[in-house]
Amino acid sequence: MFAQAAPAPLAAEHLTVEKLPPKTPHWIYVFDASFDNEIDMRLRLFDGDTYRRLGQIDAGFMPGINLSPDGTQSVVATTYFARGSRGTRTDVVEFSDNTTLTPLGEIVLPNKRAMTAPNLFNVAYSEDGHFVYAAYITPAASFGVLDPANKKVLGEIDTAGCVLVIPSGPNRVSSLCESGRLLTVTLNPDGHESSRAMSEPFFDADADPVFVQGIASEHGYAFLSYLGEVHEIDLSGAQPVFAPVWPLVSPAEKGHWRLGGTQVGALHRALHRLYVPMHQGGEGSHKEGGTEIWVFDTRSHKRLARWAFQSAGLARILAVQVSQDPAPLLFAADSAANVAVIDALSGHVKHIEKHLGQTPWMMLNP
Amino acid sequence: MRSLDQLFEHSSRSLARRTSRRSLLAGLGQILTGAALLPLLPIDRSGPALAEDAKPKAAGPESCDYWKYCAIDGFLCACCGGTSTSCPPGAAPSPITWIGTCHNPGDGRDYIVSYNDCCGKTSCGDCECNRNEREKPTYRPSRNNDLNWCMANADSNYHCSVSVILGVAEK
Repeated sequence: MFAQAAPAPLAAEHLTVEKLPPKTPHWIYVFDASFDNEIDMRLRLFDGDTYRRLGQIDAGFMPGINLSPDGTQSVVATTYFARGSRGTRTDVVEFSDNTTLTPLGEIVLPNKRAMTAPNLFNVAYSEDGHFVYAAYITPAASFGVLDPANKKVLGEIDTAGCVLVIPSGPNRVSSLCESGRLLTVTLNPDGHESSRAMSEPFFDADADPVFVQGIASEHGYAFLSYLGEVHEIDLSGAQPVFAPVWPLVSPAEKGHWRLGGTQVGALHRALHRLYVPMHQGGEGSHKEGGTEIWVFDTRSHKRLARWAFQSAGLARILAVQVSQDPAPLLFAADSAANVAVIDALSGHVKHIEKHLGQTPWMMLNP
Repeated sequence: MRSLDQLFEHSSRSLARRTSRRSLLAGLGQILTGAALLPLLPIDRSGPALAEDAKPKAAGPESCDYWKYCAIDGFLCACCGGTSTSCPPGAAPSPITWIGTCHNPGDGRDYIVSYNDCCGKTSCGDCECNRNEREKPTYRPSRNNDLNWCMANADSNYHCSVSVILGVAEK
């Protein structure tokens, strides 16, 4: 017997740095709150078509995160301690290039940054990208106005107890108030306050507070309440316009079926479809994830579908996001750190990405 | 069965936001251990003793079900070297805080409690607890548990949370 000839050896390899492919509407930035080790939160970029994890942007301690209006940059408002978990605190806003996932620069903030649960309004861009706003809570409430082009803090604006930075137009910032009102500050070209206006109350913080996790709509944001009311606010004009409130639940369901989680709704703006994680529960269950996702038409206010995903292997759904293209994907992050990729038109589960981070609590898409 | 149903309901509620593999296994371990031991104990299974032992034990300070923790969202300091009213060694209490009202089934009273964070070390990571009775969003900070209440500490890293009785809530 003759021994077989040994196969040719493997060629020498070259270490390189991977380049991102061109972005698609099905990319999703998954915020991992790394709850067991909160000084090390991050954004993971995931492709909903190929199911590949494309890369990561580091996000420090209890950050605010957002994407620039054109999707080319990420902004992370975060905090670092000089000795890792302790030592001198530095609050900073960091920018990353979303085509390379490399840092583009930073703006050091006063140590006042709002350190709170993820939502779209801890840090936000103006519509034209000219300003970045950073929410401050010390617990006195105010916000910083930043110049991202020149990497400067332009100033700080007191918000009289109202919190967070809800951007509209090139120069307006609204904040949610305990009185149920919306404070809107208009800025001059230098980023200083030129005027402010307080709206009439649009919700009751005692009877039925709204979640601060607003959902971007065509002309503003939708805010959902603990008991399932939809408050749509048009922020395209100088003054906010509040649409008539409509319910996600029937009178029989109210108080028994509730929305809950960490990102409590997603809207496909062209199709007018709203996706909300819902569960059966009572007072105090507003952070519990959904056992179902309910789908609504925001024009007719009709419920179009109830989708349950336990049989597909999902746990309680904490966060939802939907792509904005004509063949949309619904992303659902659950309490076991799975992220499901779902056909947003049919509810068909296409893929479940296991353990996408430790605690995926919010998702953004370009 | 009613009490067992309640146990599972509450357990699943505690796990609703986040179920790490470790906590799931630990939780299952407790349930399975309990189930395995129940048929063996007590040795004397005659009437009254069995009925007494079958009563569910009130949850203690190392359990998220403990009555004082009705609006804690974080890690229990009692599992991290502290107690329900003290920070673990080397951690510093937050001077500012949020306030809640919890019902003590032991004496039937409602108590106003102060939920302080303990600060200056990284997340303890043990005994995650996420209860939100009467909890309100950030625009009502005195009733909000999403804020890092270590924010005003010299070392503002969040380590764990305690619940301190301030007094009886007046009806």
